[in-house]
Amino acid sequence: MKKLSKSPLYQQLVDAYNQRNSDGNAAQEREQAFTAFVEKGFPSNRDEDWKFTNIAPFLADDYSFELQEPAAAVLENTVQQARIPGLDSYTLVLVNGKINGTLSILPDASCFKLQQLSEVSDVNYFNTYKSEHVGAGNRMLALNTALFNEGYLLEVPASIVWDKPLHVIQLFAGEQNLFIQNRNVLVMGRFSGLEVIESVISLKDGRKLFVNNVTQVKVAEQASLIQYQIQHNQAEDRLIDFLEVVQEKNSRYDHFSFNLPGAELIRNNLEIVLNGSATETHLMGLYLVGDHQLTDNHTAIHHLFPNCDSNEIYKGVLLGKGKAVFNGKVFVERPAQKTNAFQQNNNLLLSDKAQVFAKPQLEIFADDVKCSHGCTVGQFDPESLFYLRSRGIGEDSARKLLVEAFMFDVTQRITNEPVKEYVQSLIYEKMENSFADTNTSVYG
Amino acid sequence: MLSIKNLHANIEGKEILKGINLEVNAGEVHAIMGPNGSGKSSLASVLAGRENYEVTEGEVWLDGKNLLDMKPEERAREGVFLAFQYPVEIPGVSNINFLKTALSEIRTHRNLPQLSAKEFLKMTREKQELVEFEAKLANRSLNQGFSGGEKKRNEVFQLAMLEPKLSILDETDSGLDIDALRIVSSGINKLRSPENAFVLITHYQRLLEYIVPDFVHVLYNGQIVKSGNKDLALELEEKGYDWLKEQFHGNAALNEQ
Repeated sequence: MKKLSKSPLYQQLVDAYNQRNSDGNAAQEREQAFTAFVEKGFPSNRDEDWKFTNIAPFLADDYSFELQEPAAAVLENTVQQARIPGLDSYTLVLVNGKINGTLSILPDASCFKLQQLSEVSDVNYFNTYKSEHVGAGNRMLALNTALFNEGYLLEVPASIVWDKPLHVIQLFAGEQNLFIQNRNVLVMGRFSGLEVIESVISLKDGRKLFVNNVTQVKVAEQASLIQYQIQHNQAEDRLIDFLEVVQEKNSRYDHFSFNLPGAELIRNNLEIVLNGSATETHLMGLYLVGDHQLTDNHTAIHHLFPNCDSNEIYKGVLLGKGKAVFNGKVFVERPAQKTNAFQQNNNLLLSDKAQVFAKPQLEIFADDVKCSHGCTVGQFDPESLFYLRSRGIGEDSARKLLVEAFMFDVTQRITNEPVKEYVQSLIYEKMENSFADTNTSVYG
Repeated sequence: MLSIKNLHANIEGKEILKGINLEVNAGEVHAIMGPNGSGKSSLASVLAGRENYEVTEGEVWLDGKNLLDMKPEERAREGVFLAFQYPVEIPGVSNINFLKTALSEIRTHRNLPQLSAKEFLKMTREKQELVEFEAKLANRSLNQGFSGGEKKRNEVFQLAMLEPKLSILDETDSGLDIDALRIVSSGINKLRSPENAFVLITHYQRLLEYIVPDFVHVLYNGQIVKSGNKDLALELEEKGYDWLKEQFHGNAALNEQ
């Protein structure tokens, strides 16, 4: 802790909190969270959940909290580029956490309620949306809880099902390296339905961006939500994302996480709380980890009630000196009888310098359940590669076919065709670039 | 068409092929027989370009081109086809996508126009019929869920699709029941032409009743120790390999003196 308190960022954050609450009227939740952060500082390798992900080097840079809105033309151009080809969707654009009405395209006002989070008072916020996981020891979450200011609060009223998906584009811009802590809230009313695609984009020239984002999702009874998280960032981006989903009975939640090169650091925390019986949950992940990248997915599913199904498949392809961490926790509490929980994590190493740290973690306290997990780390099967090549298929095409085959379990579940094509084309593009670099070293 | 001269090859430092000489002309069918471990499958692997074999000496020419300088895919595009003894299952790679990719890369290499989706499907249907391969290919992964016999028949079907000059069939008859053997053989007979050639690697004379070879060679201890016409296969069926082994070791002893 002594070492941490010397970090300029740590002191900056302490100062920011003290300044923000100079009147001494901070909400109790913020105060508690702040205390938790101050006492222990940033997470380090000594914490079990951060054992393989050392964020210290990324905290050492000089960061500013000063945001700057870019020119309208720049914004428009960036949003245009962020669009997914062929995707017919509504768009919610946030610039530095602020809803941009000009660039957003939303359905009829009866279909949603949208607010700027800074306009919701702390009392209202914490009374209604308090996170289930505050105090669970996650200090990045605590830090965000202490200091978050901006973000959106989107509610889909009961029985409303959107006719088109929503693409949420978050842009961040400033004159210096940025440290950002936003919080977004998505509330799905009873019997409602929505499909969300999320992109985070930084507007900067070589400056660093550290995002410590928290998203809270509530899926009410009989509601259905599909969330696609596309992390396709630049090398100087560091993303720490905490997503908490609370599902009520008979609801369905599908989450797709696509982690692409090349943010230096991606750390995703996914906490799914099954707060009712007969829910259905699908967590699908594809991580392509490029040279010198660190991609860490920590997921946890909490089965608290009977008759819930959860299904998790995370597939990783690692290139160069890429490093991936996967930790999949499944908790089946005593009342959660007749649980079906399935988890699978497969890793394909395309370089002898890549590393994977995988840890499936099932804790089962009920006795009438079906739970399974499987984890593999491997390379291309040389026999398969030879078989394809012996039919005239070039080495690059053969590898592409095998990677496609490897990811098939996940890609076949992407029901949104333009999103599927977009993600696959990004994967192949990144892979081909990387093959050009590693061809000789790996297969020579 | 194919000219193998004094071919030596190692696997993991162990010499498996010890000076193979073989000439195959267009229109010919050659059978290569021999006891277990004599190097038959190794010869097939070396010709197809399997990377764990190291060629230490000798040459292999295909219509005047140095085959040993080529990658496996280049050999295939030049017209070499290996029907695998154990075809691989590749879950997630669809049969159709696989064939389309292979055919497209081969046609590009041969300066042939690409097939339209319709032409491709028509060709697939025709060739399936030709080799009597009824397995449903659409929406199925490569060889996945295929029986042993179906896998072998898929090899012959791929052969029909890719139209190679030189086909090497590595124990395509093993594991086939008599009906499947008849179907596979009749498919291969239909594909024979004055422009292409076949090398059949087999343990049993049985296959050669259906596909009549022009030449039969016996491989033993990494060398071709005897060549003859189809009658040699019958002789082997009757007498086994021991008389050849004895002859070989006798000669070797003489050479040492």
